[in-house]
Amino acid sequence: MSSPYAEMVPILLMIATFAAMTFAFKLPVSVSLVGAAILGALVAGQGVPLRHLVEGTLGYMDTLLIIATAMVFMRMIQASGLLDTIAHHLITGFESRPASLLVLMMLFAMSAGMITGSSTAAVLTTGAIVAPAFIALGISKNKTGAIIAMAGILGMIAPPVNIPVMIIGGGVDMPYIGFALPLLVLTLPLAVAIVLLLGLKSIRATTIDRSLLPPTYHRQYGWKLYLPLVILVVLIVLERALPSIVPSFGMPLVFMVCALVAPFTGRRMNPLVVARDAIRAALPVMGILAGVGMFLQIMALTGGRGFIVSLLVGLPLGLLYLSIGLSMPLFGAVSAYGSASILGVPFVLALLGTNEIIVASALSLVAAMGDLMPPTALAGLFAAKVVDQPNYTRVLKHCLIPALLTVGVSLGYIATADFWDRFLFWDNRLALYGILLAITAAVAVVILILDRWVIRHRVATGEAQS
Amino acid sequence: MIEREGGYGRGWTAVVLLLMTGAVLLTASHSFLAMRVDPPIYPGPGVTHVVALSDYFEGLIGTPADTAVYILEGSEPGGTALVLGGTHANEPASSLTAITLIENAQVTRGRLIVIPRANHSAFTCTEPQEGYPQTYTIETPAGPREFRYGSRGTNPIDQWPDPVIYVNAAGQSLAGSEVRNLNRSYPGSPSGNLTEQVAYAIVKLIRQEDIDISIDLHEASPEYPVINAIVAHEDALNIAAEAAMFLEFEGMQIGVERSPANLRGLSHREWGDATDTLALLVEAPNPAQGRLRGQTTAKLIVEGIDPYYVRAAQRGLLYVPFSAEGHPIDERVGRHLQTVATLLDVYNSYTNDDIVVAGIPTLSAVLEQGLGAFLAPPSGPESGL
Amino acid sequence: MTIIYQVITASVILLVGWNLFREKRLVEQMATALVLIPLILRVLMIK
Repeated sequence: MSSPYAEMVPILLMIATFAAMTFAFKLPVSVSLVGAAILGALVAGQGVPLRHLVEGTLGYMDTLLIIATAMVFMRMIQASGLLDTIAHHLITGFESRPASLLVLMMLFAMSAGMITGSSTAAVLTTGAIVAPAFIALGISKNKTGAIIAMAGILGMIAPPVNIPVMIIGGGVDMPYIGFALPLLVLTLPLAVAIVLLLGLKSIRATTIDRSLLPPTYHRQYGWKLYLPLVILVVLIVLERALPSIVPSFGMPLVFMVCALVAPFTGRRMNPLVVARDAIRAALPVMGILAGVGMFLQIMALTGGRGFIVSLLVGLPLGLLYLSIGLSMPLFGAVSAYGSASILGVPFVLALLGTNEIIVASALSLVAAMGDLMPPTALAGLFAAKVVDQPNYTRVLKHCLIPALLTVGVSLGYIATADFWDRFLFWDNRLALYGILLAITAAVAVVILILDRWVIRHRVATGEAQS
Repeated sequence: MIEREGGYGRGWTAVVLLLMTGAVLLTASHSFLAMRVDPPIYPGPGVTHVVALSDYFEGLIGTPADTAVYILEGSEPGGTALVLGGTHANEPASSLTAITLIENAQVTRGRLIVIPRANHSAFTCTEPQEGYPQTYTIETPAGPREFRYGSRGTNPIDQWPDPVIYVNAAGQSLAGSEVRNLNRSYPGSPSGNLTEQVAYAIVKLIRQEDIDISIDLHEASPEYPVINAIVAHEDALNIAAEAAMFLEFEGMQIGVERSPANLRGLSHREWGDATDTLALLVEAPNPAQGRLRGQTTAKLIVEGIDPYYVRAAQRGLLYVPFSAEGHPIDERVGRHLQTVATLLDVYNSYTNDDIVVAGIPTLSAVLEQGLGAFLAPPSGPESGL
Repeated sequence: MTIIYQVITASVILLVGWNLFREKRLVEQMATALVLIPLILRVLMIK
């Protein structure tokens, strides 16, 4: 294989095999990925490289544990009644401020992503908590799934913890310093815009039906009910706030501890059966990750990966933007972290000369969109599980416009990097914070006005119906 | 996911699948475990004694991170130099240069201390999803000699799990996986994780042995801006600049970079800050490490030829020239050897505590005769005679 | 911490194994067995 084009053959064949096995033969995605990987290796003259195939799966070891334990935790607090209870109180407490509630719940849904740096963890924890509330507000299951998937992704990118940026930084020796403000400026406006875009119309059209509200178990079990969540927050915050004193527990351990506490805090359940069913729900994704690991390893082995990367980063500047917008989410299908590492690093190098912090921040958000890309679509898939939608493409459909908006905004962020470089790294910090605060206040006022507008509209429809 | 009714899954099919999984695991484990055996290094006539890194920090005794430290002591007293190879086990020119020094160099004045596998644990595994071969061979006159291609970081088996964020001993926040990167862990900590303990032991060695000049050998991917370069702590900047000038005179293109003050945990920063040594790091171009590389094979590691990199160079994406001849391991190791020799020469011109080392092969000699000519035969020096 | 993570991994392996025997579709059983590969290698501290 001396010609670079000859090395295209295995990768093209791998993609074709995968597509055929998944769509024509309706095999599970994971099994199709394994088949494609084996065939790719065979065609490239590597035989069946067992060591490589097995080694590839190990690349997702930590992700597998996070997914498994997060899923168990989520099912446990669902079974204990905690999820229903919180949704109940959120809605009754904010009945007169629906638009504010939307925005606050969006920020709350993001919060787990902000501190864990994982969209899966966010969707399965804070996302799962607010999902019933969104539904009770009159937002459809699928749209609710889309909202919490987007919240998980934006949360993963928002500071203080952004793993994709750290991965990109690791590849270009850029310390994780000075990212908080550029990332906030990038993600928060998007979060507000997206939740209003997806939710405002639905909440305007419905009045809250108290009989459809999820039940509250607060009176029955009292504050004990909230214990798993309290422990989760305490452990994560402690670990993040005092990294040099508190040992790093890691997400799997934190989820495991909280999951073990849950059965003693609320409704009766059989924790073993709950855990077993949680793993059953997580298994398709875990299988896909193992399969993707094999696929990636064979891609690197046969040169398919290098073929794609060198093709993409070598494009002229105009096409480079297009290539970032298309290839990073596409590649993110194998994981947002993988996209950040494999494409994010060369893209930052190709854009050297522009403020690297702005570029890496924007690239991390584009890479994160990969969490919506089938076959893995981690954020979309788990959001679908949270809202009990067996077909995750229905959730993804509603993510399309928000995702396009996000990619567009991110590319715009790179294109206008010189402006942000001057503004966000302005020496006059006082003026900078003043301007940002004024903008935030203005947005808050708009949301408060929206609250009244929604209520008034709702009354009008109510009268029309009567 | 398509839901399909029925299917042929039974208890016995589960058992059969488990047995098959077991067979796959057994085969794969066999090759994973083979990586834990160190290929031999044959100390040359210049080596006066071999100690262990754990002699400097006993916390490493019996751990997979303990590693051999080769001491080459001259008959006359002088200064002391440290050469570190294998900080990153996926940068082969680094550890091969150290091995070539151990097998060839002879010190007449002062001392040369060489650690060929600084992160020993990293030599026992390859990184997942990179498709690396586990070994590569260098042709010697007596036949092919095998070496391991390891990973950038400590084997996760020896240090698990990674934190979400790694805050190193110098206070820098890094991605969690960097917790296993020796060159982000300096100055290390005796109570830290295994990698930090290795870093601590190395810093302690520098202090205890009173090392005057320390050189950390590395390789980088051709698309990475700091390449074919010496990175120097500000105290060592003069020596680096002067050495680079001499090397350029001899026709070897090499740049000098100042160690960034805000990038903490790296050897060229922390060695220089924490000890009195002159801290330097040297980079060579390794296409096998790059993200643009084609087929990942042992041949690529040794010959350094890659058509994708030739095209990338034509498009101006690289920071080193890249022609059809590539960057073979002979050239990369030869560069490192020549750079080490030149740095020592320049250092000697500034001090009375000379470190005089003979027998370091030059770049042109390695290019002419091949690296194998300077390595002991596969089964030891006696067998080749 | 490593031992705690081995215990977590071992519990996930048991739950995955339980599902392997309850699964009624052969292809899904195959996908389940696939997940066991990295988990077992890590719990035995081989890779």
